[in-house]
Formats: sequence, structure tokens, C-alpha cells
Amino acid sequence: MRVEYINPFVESAYNILKEMLKCDVKRGELYLKSTAMPVLGVAAIVGLAGDVEGRVLFDMKRDTAIRVASAMLEAMEMEPITTLNDMGRATINELANMITGQAVTKLHELGFKFDLTPPALLSGENMEISDTGVEALIVPMEVPQGRIEINVAIRERA
Amino acid sequence: MNWNNAREEKPRLADGPTLVGPESRGSGVGFERDAGIREGVGRTDITMVTFSLAGTDYGVDVMKVKEAVRFEKLTCVPNTQPFVAGVYNLRGQIVSVIDLRALLNLPQAGRQETPIDGLILHLDDSLIGVIVDRVDRVIGIPAEAIQPQHPISVNGSTAHISGLAGYEDRVYVMLDLEHVFRRDGEGGGREGRTDRGVPAGQPLAAADVAAATGAVGKEGTDVTDEDLRSVADGLALFNKLHVTPVNRQWVCQRLEEWRRLRGEAQTAVQLADERDAADFAATFGSACSGRLWDRTYGEAVRNVMPTVEGAVVNAWNPGCGRGLEAYSLAVLMSEQYPDKRVKVWAGDNDLLAISSAPSVSLAADAVPAYVQSHTVETGSELTFSGTLKAMILFEYHDILHQSDVPQSHICVCRDLLSILKPDDQQKVLSKLHETIVTGGVLIVGENERLDHDVRWEMVSDRIAAYRKI
Repeated sequence: MRVEYINPFVESAYNILKEMLKCDVKRGELYLKSTAMPVLGVAAIVGLAGDVEGRVLFDMKRDTAIRVASAMLEAMEMEPITTLNDMGRATINELANMITGQAVTKLHELGFKFDLTPPALLSGENMEISDTGVEALIVPMEVPQGRIEINVAIRERA
Repeated sequence: MNWNNAREEKPRLADGPTLVGPESRGSGVGFERDAGIREGVGRTDITMVTFSLAGTDYGVDVMKVKEAVRFEKLTCVPNTQPFVAGVYNLRGQIVSVIDLRALLNLPQAGRQETPIDGLILHLDDSLIGVIVDRVDRVIGIPAEAIQPQHPISVNGSTAHISGLAGYEDRVYVMLDLEHVFRRDGEGGGREGRTDRGVPAGQPLAAADVAAATGAVGKEGTDVTDEDLRSVADGLALFNKLHVTPVNRQWVCQRLEEWRRLRGEAQTAVQLADERDAADFAATFGSACSGRLWDRTYGEAVRNVMPTVEGAVVNAWNPGCGRGLEAYSLAVLMSEQYPDKRVKVWAGDNDLLAISSAPSVSLAADAVPAYVQSHTVETGSELTFSGTLKAMILFEYHDILHQSDVPQSHICVCRDLLSILKPDDQQKVLSKLHETIVTGGVLIVGENERLDHDVRWEMVSDRIAAYRKI
């Protein structure tokens, strides 16, 4: 993946998580992956299209998703959730949207132009995602609520 | 790739979590000879069809096998390669039939009467028949039972052998026949091979053996297999430098030198630790590795650049590290192709190195004169001009993964192949072959050679440049 794309995603994930969850965020080692990979349980996916094409996937365990959504809701003085209901799903989608949105804004400033698709949330047990032909950058983020893996796969349009 | 840093980078390249999980790479890959072949434990990861050939048991992946057959009547086709036994009419479909003994360079048996035992294999999209001595049975084995064989321990190239599998009390040689046939079927390079003195029809194995033993012997060296094997083990273990036909010539030469040095110091030839291995490999790196190429090297590269018809010239530089070689390449290409659009794709799996590539800055005296006009002053240092930067796309990329690099005219891949495991070397070479246009040029490390590979033709010995044929 183009080097210039890496930092905007890492930075915006860090900033948004820190801001929304009001806690310490630790970034794990970045790495590359190109094979089919299991989804932890809940995955929000945002598509990118324009000069480049690709997608960003936010992957976490179901209980992490519930805790993260609760923390975000509480920060806005709303009721926390105990199951992954509509409110929870909407919250996780919003988180994915904010992180991707901020990253794309940074990339726009650098001269790369592309648009986002609305986020979609996938949840279930034993899911696997495979997109052949794209190498994905994995940005693991550790927050007190658990681990969120941000999986960025972008390629130049031929 | 900067050879000096390569030692730090290599462990990550080879077994770090940054690449692929251990489950998919297999912990036994490499030179762990004493890993031992464990007994099957009832689990089946791979199902193989086994057969015997010249007293040895072989296995092929069952998924590759369409059916076992008895060839009733083979029709000979005149003027084919010696290993082509003929063609067979398989229920109306004409299938070429290969004599595996001939292909694998095994002693010929007195040909038995028809019908002859054989297998019909899927080969990419087509079918191919092979003659074996006897089709044995189908066995299921767990992945742990498979051990990669030692690259120099077998009489021939490792290319077509994907591993050794222990099952019950037998050892099966696992054949990767697609590999054998793809190479042999490709590019009509047969004549080329004959020119190089390897008889047509012999598998690449023959050339490898010649390179490893015979050829070296003729040059008057006394490198023994034993020493070569132990040094290869040491290099793989400590230095992640894997001895294969790509670098065997250098290893043999260096081993001779090494014996002399060690003889004077009265120490053993074996590489006992990392320092030994580093000392041994000290002369391996190419000229101007990891920095801007000097004018002499640059001129040599310009001399091998191919003629390009279209308006765009693409180049690929995997393992570019901090990208200085990619910058040199872009400058030279813009000199060589002044009226064309130059695009260089440069990638590395070292995140720190590649992250600094787009904004690298250098002291003025580290920049050769021919590159000076492509730089701008920033404070006390020089950075590359926007025009030059726009020619290069730096990617955080692992060469063993999928890539979107477009068809390229030039590819610079110096000192990278040798630090990949033997299987991965083959994969990457195939990928390079796919990526480079016919007539395009591949530059490998100065101590790496592709003479054993019929897909390439040497254009410069000095800088180890090869043309895709």
C-alpha cells in the first residue's frame, strides 16, 4: 500500500478513539496481510472510491463492540447498551465513519481525491473476509474496552 | 536492499508476525534438518496419490490428479522432446504423455509392455499424462508429517519437490508437477537451453547439479558437498541467506576463499555463530547497495535498459529500503527515455525504511553529480525534486503478497531473492517473470545468477542483468 496512505489512517484512528473513548489508546505493530482472514465478530466496513479503490474494515469482538459503543454513548450522556442493538450498531458505524472520514480528509489535503461509501456493519460468528488481489495493512489499536483492528486495503486505479 | 541492514530486516521477512502467521508458513520450512518426520496422527491435511518410480515412492496432491489410467496405446509424435512419450486418446481428448523417469533424470527402465500405469493430471487449465512404474494408493497425512527437503541434499533441483512426507514406515517425495511442467512448457525456451549446454529434455535439476558440483569442480576447486551443506545451513540459520541455484556460484567461490581464511586462522570451516555467518556473507552485497548509485553503476544500468515502444516506461524495485536506489533508477530512466513518462513502483516490507523514502534527505556530498539537478536544497541538506518524487510510488508491500504493480520494462531486485526461502524464491521469480514484459530487463544482485533459469537470458554479467525471453 502506498506509504502516504498509512499515516492518515493511523493518526485518525488514534485521535478519534482517544477523543471518543476518553482513554489511553495504544497502537500495536503495523503489519501486512493478503490472505483470507477471520473476522473477530463485528466488522464495520467503509468503501473508498476515486483515484484509488479499496475499503477500510474495523474489526473487533462482539463484547468489545458493546463496551466501545457504551463508552461512546455514556460520553454523550446516553444510556449504555448491554446487547448489540440498533443503537450499538449505529454507534460502531459512526465510529468507523468518523475515523475513515478524518483519514480521507487528511488525504485530500495531500492531494489524493476519493469518496466514502456509507458504512455497513457485519456481525456473526466464524466469519472470514477475503478480498483477493489486495494486500491489507493491519493497524491494531488497544483500548481499555478491548482490541480494535483497522484493516486498510487500498490500491491505485489502473 | 541495504545489505548492512538486511540482518535486522531479515528475521522479520522470514518469520516475524508481520508477514503471515506461522500456521500458514510451516515452522519446518528452511534448513531444520533435525526437525524429524513425525508419524501421522490420524489427522488429514493433505491427501496424496502415491506412486513408485525407480524404487522411490512419490506423492502428488490428489487435487491435481484427474484419474489413474493404464495407457493402452501411446501414439509417438516425431521430433518431440525425449521426455515426451507420446500422446494418448483419453475418451476422445488428446493428452500429451510425459515419461517421468526421463523428465526427472532417473535411470530408464526397460520399458514394460503395454498397458502402462499412469496418471492424468490437471495442469493449470489442461490435462497431461505421466507414466509411472506403479500407481500405489491414496494416503492422507497431517501437515506436520511433511518436511521440506534439504535443497542440496537431493540429487537435483529442489524446484519440483515440494517436500518429504513420512507415512507409516515410508518416505514419500512430494512432487510439484505443475512447477516442473510450467517451466518446461514455457516460452519455447528449449533451444535456448540446448545452447547453454544442458541437453534439451533434462529437467533443470541437471543444470543445478552441474552448477553445484561438476562446474565448480572443473574450475579447480575442492569444495565438498559436506562443507557446502554445513555453510548453507549456517547461512540460513544465522543470516537468513538461503543457498539455491540463484546464489550457489557465489557461495561456492566464497567457500573456497573462506576455507583459506579459516585455514590461516586455524578455525573450522563451519559457521558457528552469527558473526561467522555475517563475515562469510560480508562480500555478498551488491555495489552501491542501499544508496544512490554512482555514475559508473548507473551507466551500466542505462546500458541494459530495453527499447520501449509506448509512451510510458514502468519499472519495479521491490526491496527498495529507504528508496535511494529507486531514486537513482528514476533519474537514469528519465535520462534514457527523455520523451516518455517514467513510473517507478518501489516497495519494501520494512515499515520504518519505506516510510522515510518519500521524504528522504541527504548531505550534498552524498549525492552524485548526475542526480544533483533532480534535487532541491532544504536547509543544509538536499531533498529530491517534486518532479522526481512524482515518478516514484513508494509502497509498504510484502513481495510474497499480491501486488498491483503494472507490467514493467525494468525491474531491479538486488540481493532480495537470496534472503527468501527457497520456495519463496521460486514464487518471487515467477512473479517477476509475470510482471516484466517480454524483452524487459531484470537486474538481480551482483552475486546472484539466473543462468539456470531458461526464462531469462543474460545481458550483462557485471551487473547481473537478464532479459525476459
